Amino acid sequence: MKNSDKEISVYIHLPFCERKCLYCAFTSFVSSEDMQKEYIKHLLKEIEKFENGYKAKTIYFGGGTPSVLRLDLLEKIFDALKTKFEIATDAEITMEVNPNSVGEEKFKFYKKLGVNRLSIGIQSLNNKTLKKIGRLHTKEEALNKLKLAKRYFDNVSCDLILGLEKEKNVVKYAKKLIKFGVKHISCYMLEVHENTPLFNLVESKKYRPLDDEAVAKSYEKLRKFLKKQHFNQYEISNFSLPNFESKHNLAYWSYDDYVGFGVSSHSFIHGVRYENSSVLNDYYEGKTYSETITNDKEIEERILLGLRCKNGVDLEKLKKMGYFLEKNEFFMQFLEKNILKKENDKVYLNPNYYAVSDFIIEHLFP
Amino acid sequence: MNDELKYIRNFCIIAHIDHGKSTLADRLIELTGTVSKREMQDQILDSMELEREKGITIKLAPTRLIYEYEGKEYTLNLIDTPGHVDFTYEVSRSLAACEGALLLVDASQGVEAQTLANTYLALDNNLETVPVINKIDLPSARVDEVKSEIEDVIGLDAHDCPCISAKEGTNVEDVLKAIIEKIPCPKGDENGKLKCLIFDSHYDNFKGAICLIRVFDGKVKKGDKILMMQTNKVFEVTEVGIFVPNTKEVNLLKAGDVGYLAGSIKTISDVKVGDTITSADNPISEPLAGYKEVKPVVFCGIFPVDGAKYGELKDSLDKLKLNDASLQFSPENSTALGYGFRCGFLGLLHLEIITERLEREFNLDIITTAPSVSYMVFKTNGDVLEISNPSNLPPQVEIDHIEEPMVKVNVFTPPDYVGAIMDLCQDKRGVYKNMTYLDKRRVELNYELPLGEIIYDFFDSLKSRTHGYASFDYEFFGYSQADLVRVDILLNGEKCDALSMIVHKDKAYTRGRELAERLKKIIPRQLFEVPIQACIGNKIIARETISALRKDVLAKCYGGDISRKRKLLEKQKEGKKKMRKIGSVEIPSEAFMSILKLNDEK
Repeated sequence: MKNSDKEISVYIHLPFCERKCLYCAFTSFVSSEDMQKEYIKHLLKEIEKFENGYKAKTIYFGGGTPSVLRLDLLEKIFDALKTKFEIATDAEITMEVNPNSVGEEKFKFYKKLGVNRLSIGIQSLNNKTLKKIGRLHTKEEALNKLKLAKRYFDNVSCDLILGLEKEKNVVKYAKKLIKFGVKHISCYMLEVHENTPLFNLVESKKYRPLDDEAVAKSYEKLRKFLKKQHFNQYEISNFSLPNFESKHNLAYWSYDDYVGFGVSSHSFIHGVRYENSSVLNDYYEGKTYSETITNDKEIEERILLGLRCKNGVDLEKLKKMGYFLEKNEFFMQFLEKNILKKENDKVYLNPNYYAVSDFIIEHLFP
Repeated sequence: MNDELKYIRNFCIIAHIDHGKSTLADRLIELTGTVSKREMQDQILDSMELEREKGITIKLAPTRLIYEYEGKEYTLNLIDTPGHVDFTYEVSRSLAACEGALLLVDASQGVEAQTLANTYLALDNNLETVPVINKIDLPSARVDEVKSEIEDVIGLDAHDCPCISAKEGTNVEDVLKAIIEKIPCPKGDENGKLKCLIFDSHYDNFKGAICLIRVFDGKVKKGDKILMMQTNKVFEVTEVGIFVPNTKEVNLLKAGDVGYLAGSIKTISDVKVGDTITSADNPISEPLAGYKEVKPVVFCGIFPVDGAKYGELKDSLDKLKLNDASLQFSPENSTALGYGFRCGFLGLLHLEIITERLEREFNLDIITTAPSVSYMVFKTNGDVLEISNPSNLPPQVEIDHIEEPMVKVNVFTPPDYVGAIMDLCQDKRGVYKNMTYLDKRRVELNYELPLGEIIYDFFDSLKSRTHGYASFDYEFFGYSQADLVRVDILLNGEKCDALSMIVHKDKAYTRGRELAERLKKIIPRQLFEVPIQACIGNKIIARETISALRKDVLAKCYGGDISRKRKLLEKQKEGKKKMRKIGSVEIPSEAFMSILKLNDEK
């Protein structure tokens, strides 16, 4: 399809895992081949039904563990996407992988399909920790696969989890990853969700995550270290060398349209947010929830999204929507205390306060 | 004497709380067919939702019961009374409207503090008091022992008293017989000058203030001009009626009758409980004895959570006052809480009822400050101030001395807990007065205590130290000088007036420290460190620090799930609406009540 003028980001959810990590609260399953086939059948149908005429500027395969998927099935998805969308020539196409489920063959194949960015779930470089949280790879395997990945892909990102180990370790890991040529690091704080095995471990005191204070310190150390390494923090949890930001994730924070295919995936199109059911059978039956973003909700979202990344919040835009941030007493206090920075008509959150961004954002809501 | 009067009995039921008063009232109503079984709902006289929930009677509701006895039809006017110490005056006025009282005693609990207090009230009003033993169906019932308790402790003859189970309906007929046989019929002259007692009032949106009255002499009907002797106001009667138990208009109320009267009375404050109504054209010279202006003894500040709802709060208080003349309020301004009201109550229960009604019936979110009593402050320049808001206390140098309200406390307890109660009273600055062994299992302790200590946490402490076995009753008796100081709380260096408290000097350090510790737990972390200081004047007596917030939940907006994050923040924001700002520190509204709950964690 050619000459599409509407740009969109595309997310594909592949909910398959060889084993579920103990902290994981996402929709994913340990799956049989039949299950994979069945799922892909519905996924393809969903893609096919989507409106024509969009140009995909980014494509992101997330999960789950997309690298678990059989390559022939993956190819089918690519075919379907190519049929439905005009794929921009410079499109960022990301594949999430786990060290233990990829190898040279898969890397080659991904490359052939057009994937140009990898996101590797490293999480930690400590074998004890990896075992404790239910990861199937070791530090050695992770680094080997990373080295291999770099042979095929320049744009490689790694995930790390904060709050698993003592504060300075995560800096050590980041250093190692950078040495291996990683261009982008995502760093998420460990969240203990109910209904996860980790929650039970914490409840029964078999596992003790770092306290808030230590996590905050760890985060600060990492931020400082990455800054020295010329990694820009372009969002609360994301750091990259110049020009290696994740265009796909930035689309979420920039209020751009995106469409998600697959169980539990989210879309935002023409001011409406959609969420596919996270129950597999309901998803198969096409169950979707939607929420129209009213003017008031949009104001909140623009503040929320703008402040959590380098984009900032456009005050003029908010004014046009009827909200004068300058009239919020907290806004003025935050400016005074240098928690917020104002440049021209834009307001940015001082990165030193990213760790308490919820507190700040919530006080700026109308 | 008028023959008709022979067939009227005016009576009330008095009892310790939970001894089954409302259940007995229900049974009597049912048995006399006043309300059909179909209409019957439990505890029919407790009309307010809150009353039914708390199982207590707040407002009085009289009912006319018709009962045939030995071939004659009797009119029995039952005046239900509130059982709680806060409403002693209301009880005493409804007692004054009767000739007799049923003294209901729980067959397993026996005589309790309020049993005795209420009996004294009944005796003060010259009522014929008929003991009734209730709950004989309980396995723990000790009917004979309780009988002798009644005889020994109270001095009433109980050998042939009705022994019933109101719950199961056992022997309730005996109660009706006892009412007729033992309680005297009203005296009075229906041809004399009009003399009525107002024993309660409430407000009706259509009829205005309604007086609940007992007619002693004369008669009253629609069109009559009446005079309220205390307020000296004249009204024309627009309606008279009786309660069956709902209102029913009648042509005439005459000597001996209990009923209501309406007269386009627009403000409830014109109707004073205890006032005497007479004829405006042909008045009596002396009103009935016993009138007393009810004065609030417990005070607290009530503020809207949302400052913009000040007007709504005022309207709601006005509406509550229509029905509750004893509620007092005046505007108050707090730097911490903004505009609100200082409200006066008859006691802690009354306070609790009003605040709950504001929240439930008027849907208001309110912040209440810790209850306080009213202090007499004698200044060095000779002025005397009555202070119910701690922040209004003048600087220490201007104060010569302060007097605090005192109460006489009677505690009934099994002997095992005497030591614990004495410790408690000691701790609460009580002065021991007397101790009486009523029988093997019951001791009466008399103390004088500062009211301020009672409202602090006396009741809860008594309950926990005696495992609920002790009961207590108190009565205000005067003021006494004490060494009192004001403890202020500074948050981030700024004084929070709504957290100030007046306490005895010896306790200031402990209370200050406890409050600071508690606030540290309640106040969420802010972006910066917040010191909490307790001080007397300029002297810091305790300090705690809330460390700065270091980390929020940084949920990643994974896969573009923005709604979840937005909703989470919206919810948090909603919670923050209930917070108040002192300088730049946000405090949850429950912090202001926390002064009261200092001992919770111990």
